[in-house]
Amino acid sequence: MSMARYVLKRLLLVVPVLTGVSLVVFGLVHLSPGGPVRVMLGPLQSEELVAQIRTELGLDEPLYVQYATWLWDAFHADFGTSWTVQQGTPVLELIAERVPLTLELSILSMLLALVIAIPTGIISAVRQDEAADHAARIAALTGISVPNFWLGIILIMVFAVQFSFSWGTGGWTPPWVDPVANLQQLFLPTIALGTAYSALIMRMMRSEMLDTLNKDYIKTARAMGISTREVILKDASKNALIPVVTVIGVGLGNLMNGAIVTETVFNLPGIGKLLIIAIDRRDFRVIQALVLFVSIVFVFANLAVDVLYAYLDPRIRYEGRD
Amino acid sequence: MATDDASAEYDAGQSLGDHRSQFEMFWREFRRNTLSIVGGLLIVTMILIAALAPVVAPHDPVRQFDAPDGEHNPMPPGTEMTVKNSDGEAVGTMTAYLGTDNHGRDILSRSIYGLRTLLTVSLGVVLFAMIIGVTAGAIAGYYGDTWIDEIIMRFMDVLFSFPSLILAIAVLGVLGVGKTEYGDFVLPNLVKIIVVIGVVYIPSFARVMRGSVLKEMEEDYVDAAKSLGASDAHILVKDVAVNTIPTVVVQGTLYMGTAVLASAALSFLGLGIQPPKASLGLMLSNARGYLYSGEWWFSVFPGVVIVFAILGFNLLGDGLRDALDPHHTEEAAE
Repeated sequence: MSMARYVLKRLLLVVPVLTGVSLVVFGLVHLSPGGPVRVMLGPLQSEELVAQIRTELGLDEPLYVQYATWLWDAFHADFGTSWTVQQGTPVLELIAERVPLTLELSILSMLLALVIAIPTGIISAVRQDEAADHAARIAALTGISVPNFWLGIILIMVFAVQFSFSWGTGGWTPPWVDPVANLQQLFLPTIALGTAYSALIMRMMRSEMLDTLNKDYIKTARAMGISTREVILKDASKNALIPVVTVIGVGLGNLMNGAIVTETVFNLPGIGKLLIIAIDRRDFRVIQALVLFVSIVFVFANLAVDVLYAYLDPRIRYEGRD
Repeated sequence: MATDDASAEYDAGQSLGDHRSQFEMFWREFRRNTLSIVGGLLIVTMILIAALAPVVAPHDPVRQFDAPDGEHNPMPPGTEMTVKNSDGEAVGTMTAYLGTDNHGRDILSRSIYGLRTLLTVSLGVVLFAMIIGVTAGAIAGYYGDTWIDEIIMRFMDVLFSFPSLILAIAVLGVLGVGKTEYGDFVLPNLVKIIVVIGVVYIPSFARVMRGSVLKEMEEDYVDAAKSLGASDAHILVKDVAVNTIPTVVVQGTLYMGTAVLASAALSFLGLGIQPPKASLGLMLSNARGYLYSGEWWFSVFPGVVIVFAILGFNLLGDGLRDALDPHHTEEAAE
């Protein structure tokens, strides 16, 4: 299969996925027992008021008309205005001002994860079954077993409370305003979110590296007297990194998930925190737009990874995805 | 983890084609790995504690005890608490070994009941995904490379690409916590949580099952059964499925760790089991209000229980996978 055909096939998968996501997101509103307006207004308001607002919001139209209208507006990035989170503010604006924080937190966490995981994974594989390998593997296993929200709580307790360390305990200053304060605020959240991913990537890196080291051409290169260091750093690591790309990509999508929880722990005003507030106040437009936004990021991150992976490793194109 | 001599043993066992000796190989391989034994013991202990919670827990998880000052404040581990009867008369004392929470409830008892809740939800999630995924995967594999297979697996691709946690949060958030009523139809909270978390794990089980069934279908015994006139369903259930059970069980164990993590995260966000029932995630969420005032026991103990549960399933799952297939590292790359 040529690269172009593979990309096309992979792009085609995006259509049903996004259709599915849009149906779930649209359906969310209608899933709420009693309908969204009743949930929003509470049980005390009169039936007349509920009916009046339903009509105003177009909720009495047939479902397919509502879906088409919603989809049309969503395509034009028009998500209406917030009902209860910040009445009258365009939903898009609410999201746009919170995206930079979540994005920054995700990127910093991924960088931290890579900085820890790649060298550790290589050392662990090269020193297989030695003390360093055992230590690294036990650390990684612990890393994937500690929920990031609990790690966050412990970090706050140890650093912020015991050592009166005032970093990372709420609030966010954009990096273009004060980069130092910005990094201080994200220091603990990045550790909380990044370590679990470093454990995942390290495990992957180690097993790929072990696999590559056992390949014939690596053995030949070593037998030919090319220094072990050079072989490991130049050839083996490069090959082992290919499958790791998948973990990184999936990780970026999942980091969004992790960010929601981490933002709650550290009280950071990102999109995760916004989602929790919107759920709490039943602001359906904000919930819908946020879920759609995160889903699109997730779906396209996965797409980018699959395409990159196919480009790096041509075997994928021939074998299909299963 | 797979050493060279271990793989040789495995190959020998497989070529014998004898199920009993295959199991012996599996067990021998599993036993060699100390960490998987530790994981297994950890899980067995936790399941026993959770199942026997009413017997093991020293107190009722929702009962409030009075601190020495007569209030319901969080008290440190080892505090003697006053037990009062329903008329408010002091009838004795009890020792809160792991301290009490902000309602004067015993953290040890709540952690035990919280573990019971967490394991119930997680087991439900994995079983739900397993039953649907395995059925779909078995059908797809049996009709391998036909339109039935194509439809099922493309649907699984779509499901697999769904952003799991955010959809779960949104759906649970919108449906509201507690049971959901649509007229006469009542959706219990537990079922709702299980389905919402479990739905995205279905494709993984379907893929594993499809792969195993495709492999089994090439075996001679399937041809033999077919020529003897056995029905499709019979072959699928009686012959093929039985041989793929180990693979599915390993996958299930590996997913238990993930399910525990997801359930705990949702309950931390307040979207899981509702108070006053004990839930570890919710305990941590409550404890957030006491981080700066030094009540460390409040957030440390419930978290440790969650970590042990996830660690146990990960250790056990890794061990089972390596014992079942010492070649997995090599195969994964190919």
